Amino acid sequence: MSRGAPEMVLQVGEPMLPERIGDLTGLGEFGVAGELIAAFLAAFIVGNLMLAMTGLAGPWAKRKITAAFTDRIAVNQIGPAGVGIIVADAVRLLSKENIIPENVDRPAYDVAPIVVASSAMLGFAVIPMGTGIQLADPEVGLAYVFAVSGIASLGLVMAGYASSNKYSLLGGLRAVAQNIAYEIPLVVTGMSVVLFAGSLQMSTIVEAQSQALIDLGVVSIPQWYALVNPFAFVLFLIANFAEVGRNPFDTPEAPTEIVAGYQTEYSSVYFVLIYLGEFLHIFLGGAIIATIFLGGPAGPGPAFLGIVWFLLKIWGVFMMTQWLRSAVPRVRIDQLIEIGWKGLLVLSFANLLLTAIIVGLIA
Amino acid sequence: MSTDIEPPRTAETTEDELEALIGDRAIARDDHLNAPGFVINPDDVQDVLADLRDEAGFDHLSCLTAQQYEDRYESIYHMKKYVDPTQEVSVVVPTTLDEPTSQSAEPVFRTADWHEREAFDLVGIDYEGHPDPRRILLPETWQGHPLSLDYDQTKPQVVTLSEYENPIQPDHIDSESDTMFLNVGPHHPATHGVLHIKTVLDGETVLDVDPDIGYLHRCEEQMCQQGTYRHQIMPYPDRWDYVSSGLLNEWAYARVAEDLADIEVPEYAQVIRTMGAELCRIASHMLALGTFALDVYGDFTAVFQYAFRDREVIQDILEDLTGQRLMFNYFRLGGVAWDLPEPREEFIAQTRDFLDELPAKVDEYNDLLTTNEIFQIRCVDTGILEPEVAKEYGCTGPVARGSGIDYDLRRDDPYGYYENLEWDVVTEDGCDNYSRVLVRMREVEESAKIIEQCLDLIEEWPEDEREVQANVPRTLKPDPDTEVYRAVEGAKGELGIYIRSDGTDKPGRFKIRSPCYHNLSVLEQMVQGEYIPDLVASLGSLDIVLGEVDR
Repeated sequence: MSRGAPEMVLQVGEPMLPERIGDLTGLGEFGVAGELIAAFLAAFIVGNLMLAMTGLAGPWAKRKITAAFTDRIAVNQIGPAGVGIIVADAVRLLSKENIIPENVDRPAYDVAPIVVASSAMLGFAVIPMGTGIQLADPEVGLAYVFAVSGIASLGLVMAGYASSNKYSLLGGLRAVAQNIAYEIPLVVTGMSVVLFAGSLQMSTIVEAQSQALIDLGVVSIPQWYALVNPFAFVLFLIANFAEVGRNPFDTPEAPTEIVAGYQTEYSSVYFVLIYLGEFLHIFLGGAIIATIFLGGPAGPGPAFLGIVWFLLKIWGVFMMTQWLRSAVPRVRIDQLIEIGWKGLLVLSFANLLLTAIIVGLIA
Repeated sequence: MSTDIEPPRTAETTEDELEALIGDRAIARDDHLNAPGFVINPDDVQDVLADLRDEAGFDHLSCLTAQQYEDRYESIYHMKKYVDPTQEVSVVVPTTLDEPTSQSAEPVFRTADWHEREAFDLVGIDYEGHPDPRRILLPETWQGHPLSLDYDQTKPQVVTLSEYENPIQPDHIDSESDTMFLNVGPHHPATHGVLHIKTVLDGETVLDVDPDIGYLHRCEEQMCQQGTYRHQIMPYPDRWDYVSSGLLNEWAYARVAEDLADIEVPEYAQVIRTMGAELCRIASHMLALGTFALDVYGDFTAVFQYAFRDREVIQDILEDLTGQRLMFNYFRLGGVAWDLPEPREEFIAQTRDFLDELPAKVDEYNDLLTTNEIFQIRCVDTGILEPEVAKEYGCTGPVARGSGIDYDLRRDDPYGYYENLEWDVVTEDGCDNYSRVLVRMREVEESAKIIEQCLDLIEEWPEDEREVQANVPRTLKPDPDTEVYRAVEGAKGELGIYIRSDGTDKPGRFKIRSPCYHNLSVLEQMVQGEYIPDLVASLGSLDIVLGEVDR
């Protein structure tokens, strides 16, 4: 996990999680080594929080949510509401034979799942999750998140090419085409938020959303950028769904067309890693959306509830992906590219321009 | 009762006109129960067929039956008219045992391509000028022709994988060209069974497809030839199109055998048959809708699950009626196995409840599916099937009706109780995947209308006239060398059966005309130049069942 050097971090409010742990355990007094251990501990906590969420979401929540949408019951046999399936699934997936086909291109084939999964984990380092949980807060926070989550594309290409399978190759090519087409609108739309907040730093962006947009005395509507610029919010949401490869943009996997795309040949632990990576990316997408459009950990009640609100927002985005998955057809690959380059790209630049003008006028 | 569904008849081609048209080329007559038959020389096939199509309007090569007699081989071309399928003619082409070579009809009717391959494969007749004389159902390395008389039925043949054509062999790799060879199937999520499509791709664009079928070939024709007419054949049709079309398939056999043995079916039984068949049609179309949605949506989404949920209700109704959920075996020659289950009122009420709820469900499908804009951009103008092409390939059923061909045997060649009921034949002119979906959606509603009327009739039927079974002899032995070809409107299209009796209580030749076989053969015309997702969608829109393709 990356940890911004303390000197470089522009402290907005509270200290970062590593320092708090350092203070709490007294590790901070042991100099650099202590700080390092504290940082590892902090990263361990955040990483496990995200993995636990994925573990909950992948085998269980996803089934339950889509079942509700499609009039089914889904898992209900092991444990209350079937949550025991998480354990059963973990045992099942991890105990399977890891079949590695003869002609695969190693080590690219082996590295790809790790790249896919870890790139998403890296992104969480700079997300302010409320209740003081944030590993680092570099000035270039937003750019950093986009950069590391973009690494996943590399993993997908590696997986698609190294698998030595035509379906995987098609899936890998689709994934790249899609990520290039949608990363630009995503970043450009993210820029419009930066124009508002005047900073790339995550904590500053959250801070900027805490003022009231409309104050009605009893109820005060916060200045969340989703409310300030709903157009950008929708654009970002769409580009994000394409970026994480969910319906209606799940063409890189497209089960009925190209079997499972880049992950066709993967089994056992490798498959788990890729699957994990996908879910982590959905959650990272949710985290970015929550942070730059939905006020981050902001919500009613005392400040220590921040993490709860934050997780709720992430799960809200996750629910949305599952809803779309249940109800919306998949677009064809050429249509997908067309929507990206001819639609979203143009709209996102228009949005950026308008935002720039408005921000300029106000200033 | 109603006659507002009168088929559009054209001037009938009389036998005299046919005789005049074929003229000297007819070397003999060989009339079948359903149609006049003309025996011609093997060299005149293209000539005669082209004349019949162009001069007399026989534009539907419904089926090709090949068979071996003690002294000759015979290919029978069963021809019909799309405007009026009651006008039929059989063209009989005998060839000698020593040199079983006949002219190919492929240049006249594209659909002869697959048919002649099958005739070669199973019976052993060579077709001169055939563009692609390979086996079709059996592996290339198979020895002998299973339906020929000298074939050793008792000797098993094991074709190992290495012996059979290896789909990943290196010679598929063409280093010169920019194309990619891709095996879609036999294990692929979207092939609706074990179908193998050899695909040539340029990037994501499909250049060529070659369906490889036969993985589910179970010798259905032969098994039927070894069963007695009376009881042993009826269970087999359930296994052709096994996704809930059972009663429709059974009717195909019932119709042809009843014609052959001259059995009159009581009216009450016909009403029950009509009702059961239409229930099956709804179930089958719902499955088609659900799986098509699966192909386009890409996941087990709401539409698929809803379709299955609603289909389950029909399955329950059919289970109550027939005692079975999949292999009904409910029809008998001369009627049905038994009357409605007791208490009748409960069964009727249950079925009515389903019909009452159906419109709301169809609305729901329309909300989710046909009015969805993404669904529309995926389906409108993809998988184009022009009506001329459809006719050339012998397409029938919803596939033909989605291309604007107004052809439905229930109306055009009436059987059962259909001609006394009020309903419409559904056609759409779009010729694309979307039209085929719409046709099936609307046919569900038409079927519901038919069932509704059948229920009314059944309810009011006087108790002492509820005759479900005609008096049929225990053993049926039709006169030797009686030949008949009859078809019904199955869920997927025209399901025909040809039977030649040989004087025993088992058929001498039993040939199945599968609608899916024809509908699948047209795939190559629909997907060239389209993208892979459209290949999958087009295949889904054809609604094939491999059990019926391979038989």
